[in-house]
Amino acid sequence: MNKELWIARAKELGIDELEIYEMLQSERSLSWYEGEMDSFTTSRVLGTSLRALKSGKQAEMALEQADDAAMDEILGSLLSQAEAVNSSDPAALRAPEKTEEVQGKKHFSRPSVPEIKAVLQELQEKILASDPRIFQVGSVSWQDSSEIRRINNSLGLSVEENSTAQVIMAEAAAKEGEEIKTEYKVEVVESLADFDRDQFVSELSEELLGKLGGRSLPTGRYKVILEKKAMTSLFTVMTPMFSGEGINKGISPLRDKLGQQIFSELVTVIDNPRNTDAFEIANYDDEGCPTRSKEVVSKGVFTTALHSTKSAMAAGTESTGNGFKGSYSAPVTVRPKNCMIVPGEKSLQELQEEMGEGLVITDLAGLHAGINPVTTDFSLQCSGYYVRDGKKDFGVSLVTVAGNFLDLMKEAVAVGSDLKWSYRPVACPSVLFTGAAISGE
Amino acid sequence: MLSQEKLQEYLSFLMQSAADFAEIFEEFEENETIGTLDGRVEKAERQIVSGIGIRLYRELQSVYGYTNETDEQSVYSLLSDLRDAVGEKKESGDPVPVLLRRVEYENRHPVRIDYRSVPLEDKAELLFRAEGAAKSEDPRITKTTGRMLNVREEVQISNSEGRLISDVRVRTRMFVDAYAKEGEIMMSGGARPGAGKGLEFYEERTPEEIGKEAARQAIVMLQAKDCPSGKMPVVIDNEFGGVIFHEACGHALEATGVARNQSIFAGKKGQRIASPCVSAVDDGTIVNAWGSQNIDDEGNFQKKRVLIRDGILESYMIDRLNGRRMGEPSTGSGRRQSYKYEPTSRMSNTFICAGTDSFESLFEGIERGLYAKKMGGGSVNPQTGEFNFAVQEGYLIENGKISCPVKGAALIGNGAEILMNIDKVSDNLARGQGMCGSMSGSIPTDVGQPAIRVSSITVGGTANE
Repeated sequence: MNKELWIARAKELGIDELEIYEMLQSERSLSWYEGEMDSFTTSRVLGTSLRALKSGKQAEMALEQADDAAMDEILGSLLSQAEAVNSSDPAALRAPEKTEEVQGKKHFSRPSVPEIKAVLQELQEKILASDPRIFQVGSVSWQDSSEIRRINNSLGLSVEENSTAQVIMAEAAAKEGEEIKTEYKVEVVESLADFDRDQFVSELSEELLGKLGGRSLPTGRYKVILEKKAMTSLFTVMTPMFSGEGINKGISPLRDKLGQQIFSELVTVIDNPRNTDAFEIANYDDEGCPTRSKEVVSKGVFTTALHSTKSAMAAGTESTGNGFKGSYSAPVTVRPKNCMIVPGEKSLQELQEEMGEGLVITDLAGLHAGINPVTTDFSLQCSGYYVRDGKKDFGVSLVTVAGNFLDLMKEAVAVGSDLKWSYRPVACPSVLFTGAAISGE
Repeated sequence: MLSQEKLQEYLSFLMQSAADFAEIFEEFEENETIGTLDGRVEKAERQIVSGIGIRLYRELQSVYGYTNETDEQSVYSLLSDLRDAVGEKKESGDPVPVLLRRVEYENRHPVRIDYRSVPLEDKAELLFRAEGAAKSEDPRITKTTGRMLNVREEVQISNSEGRLISDVRVRTRMFVDAYAKEGEIMMSGGARPGAGKGLEFYEERTPEEIGKEAARQAIVMLQAKDCPSGKMPVVIDNEFGGVIFHEACGHALEATGVARNQSIFAGKKGQRIASPCVSAVDDGTIVNAWGSQNIDDEGNFQKKRVLIRDGILESYMIDRLNGRRMGEPSTGSGRRQSYKYEPTSRMSNTFICAGTDSFESLFEGIERGLYAKKMGGGSVNPQTGEFNFAVQEGYLIENGKISCPVKGAALIGNGAEILMNIDKVSDNLARGQGMCGSMSGSIPTDVGQPAIRVSSITVGGTANE
């Protein structure tokens, strides 16, 4: 694709501004099952996404074939799409801005195929050998990926960022009597040579075996700790509430709440796409706006809504550099990037001691369906363990936890120190709450 | 799409390896999304998905590669990588070239109004009609959003067995959300019907009907109380209520889990897995249905599969590779989101068949229970059978009668148990549309059922009692 040609032609056809967004993704993955390679996948896809502006109205088109020969047809379509839009909110592209770029800390080394196979075989054997109740390793797999992201536009913006990643995943099943439980684990691995297999296996095995022998609880209100993994998954699905888009439309529960206490004063939330502890950093969002760190919630007070260029214009403010796409073909929306609840001082054990008696929730299921984003009401299947006198007493499964997230977050009484960044753009430590509705027997 | 000669050349090249099977999946999909908010067009987006996915088998091993760079040099580079990964041919002798024969058939899912021939403004007008109907339903409807998705997907599948076959899949769907406000309380309601049709779909399912349904739900939910918790009888209504069967049982009947003994229903063919009043099918042949196709994504004709007959497990849903593992033929169930996914066994239009009980009789004898009129989504662990799903619109049942609406309810349980606990099946079978996510991506599927009664499910609610 000759970008200069496309930009010049767009102007000739009457398009005011044009943005060309490209994402080149390459991936390799290898999975292992019962002592043999199960599957191997390799891919390379260049996706192009075009954004055209005509009189402040915006149209988008995503392409996996962007030949110069089809230029007039594609630009013509964009123009008629933009003319069909009559939204009252104007859109704009970004001019280049100066910024000091941050370099990521993670450096991934590329292993050879025999090295990968050896590690996967070793993992499979070690998982099976770790406990006689573990009867199956569903699969162990390795994946590496690289992404090159380029954004160019008719205002002269030209931005490029690269990222790479390597992960190891395993899933296993354990059985006790008639009861079967499964668990999976994903770990970001910089170098296979330095990857601590024993640690990985013992963590997976401990989490899996902890699920066995779980029983339900009598329905009632309990003190709960949302352990870091469960807290992270629940907080992740609630983060759209911070979106300036939803607030502008009046469908976020935080509409009219800026400057107000929304969470317990123990809770501070920071969104920082440049946090080098996280899985992946971004110096620019997907519109080319330089990113920055900001406190979204300061000691429980909602201080900053997240914004893209468009949502910021509608709200009469500046973009926070949170205009991101879900994939190259998806439109820019407001998304958090490396958003965290700031960790406190106490370990999970200390939180348990403070709770005395109650439920530690380690797993939540049904997150894609069991929440209402308008009200933040939720009702979710969960499992974990029951704590008595500050110590683990028995496993708990097939119960639900339900409530309203904003109400729950006001009841946070201690924030743990155990935050750990994984492959998600959101991370939380474990949090202790005074109470939540648990349904069981 | 590549020519027959080129495909033969590529497949022959691939088979000069240790592979015993090779397949090329080509895809060209165009789609558009039009989004509206309060009677204005907010967005108009188009997308072209185009590329190839190439697969090799060596017994039970699979090697897969995909790219959208389809020039000869790029394709050969990918083919070579895949051949290297699958290994060299062991037997000597000249390889047999692949000769393709095109399979022709009659399209079961004709389309009358191609969305590409209709101006954007006219499509937006359909959304405005839906939003307008929602707003005029009740003054408390303060905000509405609409979205229309139109898709046209062309696929061509060829394999080393000499099969060459194509399909064109067209579908449309409208999403309408209505937001009702009373004092500080804001509630939403939604409707999202679709079909494997062109825009003629909106002649049968009018935008007004869709808008009103969204508004009705939002208004009802304004009055909703917190849902009680605990084990109780539950009546789940028809249409999208079938998500219970889809999640709790359908996924566990897919060969993806069954072939590796990672499903609660593995090894149970011919055995009772459900109450005798339950029969269920997965039917990918229903004319113009949302989850239908002429052929699956491995080039086999779609079929009607009887999964459960009178409570007895009759068939699984099987794709080609898992069929090898199970020693059974494919049931035409290999599906994928796009060329970026290797296919695996998936559902199409899956539903519990109509029974003989009247809808009213389902409530008889229930002192205290839950009536789930509209379900949200859910998920399941096929290996343990544990499922959960959200109730979008629920009501209490008190003394055999539907009483007040309740909010924030989830249903959890075990798929194997729930199937046994269905004690009444009514006669009002209907299907609803959804997107189903699994290993091979997100695909359109219909769920469905008549209203059913489950004698006991754990209901997770928020009410303090």
